[in-house]
Amino acid sequence: MAKPKVSTDWMAGCAGCHMSLLDMDERIAKIAELVDLRSTPITDLKVPDESGVDVGVLEGGINNTSNEEVAHRMRSRCKILVALGDCAVFGGVPAMRNFFTIEESLRRAYIESESTDDSGKIPSDPELCKPTKVRALHEVVPVDVFVPGCPPNADTIFYVLSELAQGRIPDVKDDKLSWY
Amino acid sequence: MVTLTIDGKTIEVPEGTTVLRAAQSAGVDIPTLCDHPHLTPYGGCRLCLVEVEGARTLQPSCTMPVSNNMVVKTNTKKVLDARKFVLTLIFSERNHFCPYCQVSGGDCELQNAAYHEGMTHWPLQPNWQPYPVDASHPYIILENNRCILCRRCVRACGELIGNFTLGFEERGARSILVADTGVPLGESTCVSCGACVQVCPTGALIDRWSAYRGHDVALDSTQTICVGCSVGCGIKVFTRDNNLVRIDGDWDASINGGVLCEIGHFEPMTEKCDRIHTPMVRKNGSLKAATWEEALTVAAEGLQPLKEKTTSGIAALISTRQPVETIHHFKQLFEYHLGAELVTSTEEGIYTSFASLAAETSGKPFEAKLSDIHDSDSVMVFEVDPLKDHQVAGFFIKRKLPSGMKLLVVDQSENALDKAANKALKPAKCTYEDVLKALTAAVVKLGLAKGKTSIKADELNSLAAKTGLTTDDYLDAAYVIAAAEKPVIIYENHENIVSLKEFATLVDAKLMSLKGGANSLAAAQFNLDKSYKPDRFKAAYVALGDDELSQKMIKELESIPFKVVQASYASSATAMADVVFPSTTWLEQGGHYVNLEGTVQEAFPSLKPADEIKTIGETLIALSSRLGINLDGDWTKELHKRISPVEIAR
Repeated sequence: MAKPKVSTDWMAGCAGCHMSLLDMDERIAKIAELVDLRSTPITDLKVPDESGVDVGVLEGGINNTSNEEVAHRMRSRCKILVALGDCAVFGGVPAMRNFFTIEESLRRAYIESESTDDSGKIPSDPELCKPTKVRALHEVVPVDVFVPGCPPNADTIFYVLSELAQGRIPDVKDDKLSWY
Repeated sequence: MVTLTIDGKTIEVPEGTTVLRAAQSAGVDIPTLCDHPHLTPYGGCRLCLVEVEGARTLQPSCTMPVSNNMVVKTNTKKVLDARKFVLTLIFSERNHFCPYCQVSGGDCELQNAAYHEGMTHWPLQPNWQPYPVDASHPYIILENNRCILCRRCVRACGELIGNFTLGFEERGARSILVADTGVPLGESTCVSCGACVQVCPTGALIDRWSAYRGHDVALDSTQTICVGCSVGCGIKVFTRDNNLVRIDGDWDASINGGVLCEIGHFEPMTEKCDRIHTPMVRKNGSLKAATWEEALTVAAEGLQPLKEKTTSGIAALISTRQPVETIHHFKQLFEYHLGAELVTSTEEGIYTSFASLAAETSGKPFEAKLSDIHDSDSVMVFEVDPLKDHQVAGFFIKRKLPSGMKLLVVDQSENALDKAANKALKPAKCTYEDVLKALTAAVVKLGLAKGKTSIKADELNSLAAKTGLTTDDYLDAAYVIAAAEKPVIIYENHENIVSLKEFATLVDAKLMSLKGGANSLAAAQFNLDKSYKPDRFKAAYVALGDDELSQKMIKELESIPFKVVQASYASSATAMADVVFPSTTWLEQGGHYVNLEGTVQEAFPSLKPADEIKTIGETLIALSSRLGINLDGDWTKELHKRISPVEIAR
């Protein structure tokens, strides 16, 4: 049997969940043995194979139209989609801005911030993606496995990946279930 | 008894038990949020829904009483799905993002409930409606965004404290927790007892001091007692790396049942005084740091020549915040061995002396226990304000008023209980002797006297006039206390104790005095209740610890040529001393305390003092050995030597 193909990507997050993935130390070699690691944001190949992968892992919530594209692309190219970390699962820290309007958030970031002088302005190039309300991954595409945590701990990620590699759906519960 | 079956277990429980309590007694775990063992069941959160055979829908187990042959199931798919759905709705209502919250990671009952149900995500996302945050209070932040509307805080404020500050405004998802009529908490009628923070299941009520300083599992906790006053409340002290993090009321403590006041809950957190770290000795007019050897030598040399001098001798004063063991050592050293001219407490018996004398005169204890307040149907507060210095005792009274307990306040000055009282008797400048006579006449006139008195009903007019009040005032007041079945009179060491006792007998009331500090009664039992009269003392020894000395006392002590002060904090009392010994605070020492109702309790240290700091007891022993004195003897025996106003447990 061919090794299952795994792709990962990140959206509105802090990359911390990917760092936690690396935090599994030498066990990453074990994961590399079990799976065929395809694209990730921290390796050369950035985009999941058009021909599809078995497992897609997404970190971060969805806070603009570009993230939406990433989410839809991963969903359409993977069989099992994993929401990794609090941002992908709940919206996380970026979702704090949902208590304000997008205009208020942009004004605060580009005009009112303490480090901005009088010439601050909100970027408006047509090539830029459009900011949206921050959403959890499952609000945009169907999710198969939720792995909450800020970040999820390396042992949990190792458990999730090794279960998926061996064709089982991981059951995240008890000591592996932590929302932060 | 009622027999019912829960998850296949057949059990027997008393009638009136709720299904939840019955399940708990049978070891069946039902998750809850709005339920609290010390509060009235409310049925607000619906997490405890169970299947009851024959019932059309799932039933909240916390409010449902058991009935005979009831069959309850707590772990069917229907129940488990309902729990998840209830939690889903709660999470969707407000901002429950765990990473920003101080209780996340073990101390949040909502998060724990979600983990228990194995929730990996929220099926419904929140609606991003911001709610107000109130940070106007010095100790508490009210964060409505994390509130789950369980109303535990509202019930605690009303049922445990009787304060009714907290309440809800608006309805449904818009409900917000408010103080009084929507004023900022810091400007409200809040008494800062902290009960609301202690019962909050989420991070909605934030204790400013302990927030983000560690989860309960990371903290060390010590079960001990508060020494803030004579009530002797049970507390749990939480520390981390020898730092004080939080103090909670001990739910298991029989005296207070988890309730505390501002002094017990929050005041120790705001300690701002300068700690004394080393012994100090006055050299060339100014205090200089010294070794223990030096300081002990100077103290011993100053005291030794004054041994057995009954004039121009030693005045020795000890704080009533010290444990019985220390007070006993103090008495042994200064009274038995050094024959000091005066040995007393810094309180000088002002909270106990008359009551102690009355007990000695009558030859037996005459005062009631705190449980008598819980059982009483009418309380008379006689020239004392329990809500001022013995707040928890005040809460015990206030919280019973809504269920019909009557309250009579007799006080010339303003009293915090005035507004809550059925009758507040405010005599004009007169003696309380006359007030008691007038009350007696009123009781006789009402025909409610349960004992004999020489005072006649027709004396009421003249007696009332003498105190500047009307006869109706007295008849109203007398009715409140005399018509009751189990009245209790609360006072504080009154000079008219004899008349008060007579009045109590007349209306068949129990008497209880609040006493003063944590060990006022113990000090009184050791006869350390004499008043300090400025004399030509040649030396003073003040074992102050973490207590304060009144300005009047400091002034009176100032002219004494040789002064030794043993204190935790620098103050004007240590500034005038010739020798200063650094002393532990209440959290750094243990020992026994006798509370206002004669219960003997042990306090345990929760913090370690710095190396150079010793307890007063240790210092007294060191000083004694300098003077060639051996301190021994049994404090328990001496404690029971004198007849006490209230029976002291053995």
